[in-house]
Amino acid sequence: MKLEAKAFLLVLAVAAFMFLGTYFTMVVPLTDRSLSTPTKDAKPYTELELKGKRIYEREGCMYCHTQQVRNLLEETQRYGMGEEETFKRFGIRALIQAPPSQPGEYVYDQPHLLGTRRVGPDLARVGGKYDNTWHLNHLRDPRSTSPGSLMPAYSWLFDRAGQPTDEAFALVAYLQKLGTNYKWREEGVEQARALQAKRAGAADPAQQQAPPPTQGGAQ
Amino acid sequence: MTDTAVVHEDTSARWFIYTSVTFFLVTILIGVLMATRFVFPNFLGGVAAISSGRIRPIHTNGVLFGWLLAANMGLAYFVVPRLCGRKLWSEKLGLATLGLWVIIILGAVVTLASGDTQAKEYLELDTTLDILVTIAWVMFSVNMFATIATRTKDREQMYVTLWYLMGTLLWTAVLWIVGNLPVYSGVNDANVNWWFGHNAVGLIFTPMGLAMAYYFIPKTTGNPLYSHKLSIIGFWTIAFLYIWNGAHHIIFGPIPTWLQTVAILFSISLLIPVWTAVTNFYGTLRGKWTQGNYIVKFLVAGTTFYLLTCFQGPMHSLRTVNQIVSKTDWIIGHAHMAVFGAFSFFAMAGIYYTLPRILKRPMYSDRLGEWHFWLSFVGFLGFAVSLWIGGFVQGLQWMNYTISFLDTVKAMQPYYVVRLFSALIMITAQLLFAFNVFRTARGGGNPAAAMA
Repeated sequence: MKLEAKAFLLVLAVAAFMFLGTYFTMVVPLTDRSLSTPTKDAKPYTELELKGKRIYEREGCMYCHTQQVRNLLEETQRYGMGEEETFKRFGIRALIQAPPSQPGEYVYDQPHLLGTRRVGPDLARVGGKYDNTWHLNHLRDPRSTSPGSLMPAYSWLFDRAGQPTDEAFALVAYLQKLGTNYKWREEGVEQARALQAKRAGAADPAQQQAPPPTQGGAQ
Repeated sequence: MTDTAVVHEDTSARWFIYTSVTFFLVTILIGVLMATRFVFPNFLGGVAAISSGRIRPIHTNGVLFGWLLAANMGLAYFVVPRLCGRKLWSEKLGLATLGLWVIIILGAVVTLASGDTQAKEYLELDTTLDILVTIAWVMFSVNMFATIATRTKDREQMYVTLWYLMGTLLWTAVLWIVGNLPVYSGVNDANVNWWFGHNAVGLIFTPMGLAMAYYFIPKTTGNPLYSHKLSIIGFWTIAFLYIWNGAHHIIFGPIPTWLQTVAILFSISLLIPVWTAVTNFYGTLRGKWTQGNYIVKFLVAGTTFYLLTCFQGPMHSLRTVNQIVSKTDWIIGHAHMAVFGAFSFFAMAGIYYTLPRILKRPMYSDRLGEWHFWLSFVGFLGFAVSLWIGGFVQGLQWMNYTISFLDTVKAMQPYYVVRLFSALIMITAQLLFAFNVFRTARGGGNPAAAMA
């Protein structure tokens, strides 16, 4: 008797194979506590941020923006803080790398918004990068802040007079929350300052480049 | 595989095919609208319901469920009774399934355009629609299993098409129900999302497409199946290997390294089922390439694109390659090669084969069929090659953080222009396809009139 002649047995064998792969790749991670333990800085969303997240989902932002800094040097550099940014905001010149995204930063995300494609940049570490006004201008007219951008203008988040609606404010609150489940900006600046102070004591205090903070990867 | 004297009604098959072709045009139109906005970002802007973020899931769900799955279901209503030596178990149930399917697709368009979404790729439909899809799939499955269970004695040894179909009935049901459960959060939600997303292609559209190719390639060429043994190896390796691959969509991401590595190992091993199936198809197509009409051309090209897309897939999973191409436009070219170049080509060949047999008259115009093939082929190549080159450059630019992100967006412009032109060629081809199908359906056509 061949399996291919018995419909019921064939379906049963197929189901067994499916269960095997599903168990190891889906059920085992579901029981892995380290994937559902929040990072030490992680805070649940406020009501406003959650409302903003729903707008982010409704408008399909995740189709063009990922929310994961991959465990790669070029991504921790690109999505970190450049020298200009640290100088303007913190008065030091240092390239502060963004740490790779970690499972504990996402535990309050339901649904997840990791995304798969970057028509626009990754947003996992965008919180705190720009001020609220920048975000509002960018949502109203993306090319006014980012020439060459392909993003749609979200005119329906603004009233007839061009003033932001509650939805626009909520969305910006959500964007400012992204990446703050890990206080990497503060920690990075602190480390860079400490390093510069140490070097200043040793020799020429002129512009020194701090090496990136060595924070652990995803795993 | 010879047809017996059973008289087939084929009403479910026919109406599923007409419906799928109609939805195909709509979803491609949405694709073209989005491609236009990559060149002119403000094109038809300012309207929430047709903004790119909202119509994107209409395009993907529409192509996958409105066109491809519906077309394959229509073909299954034709193929399965013939492989079982009896009539379809219930044409009425088939038509009821179609009615429900149309309600689902229209409901999906309305809800997604209004922003009602579950926000996970390919799992966007809201809960009510999720339940309706489950019911429709059960109705389809009952019809199929009942037909197969009551097949004639001489058909006891089932043909490979039926194995794949039965596998798909089970895989789809489990993936859909488990994938849609609202119980996951954080990175596990992403992992389940890609367990579903990868297998929506690997265990719904791949086996359905292969089921159809296994039927239509021998039928169209008149050659016997090249190797029964290869088809057995192919089937059981797909059943075993595919389900492990979801995590290769999140390589370097915030999921455990072991999970990524497992997904990579199984991704490479997918070359086994793919190469066995492709060897079988090429072997069966032997000697018919040059004398082939457009149906054979679709099958040859579909087989080749299947080989290529499933070579890309395992290669993308390798960390060194993934580092460059992941998240770029390259992937868009890859995805279209699977869904359009391979499985849609198989479905189109199937429709060209079945429709004249259902309606008992030839296609309205073979010439239009040839045009449909060549424009689809050339349009797709322009679409994919531009995105592959552009996406690769994009990936390399992203590896240097001193190139600003906006500069990498601007660098894509020439490729997006080529993609838009290619998309226009692709939609022109499908307009010819739909015209041909519906003129054939209406009947009384004059083929000479179409030879403009």
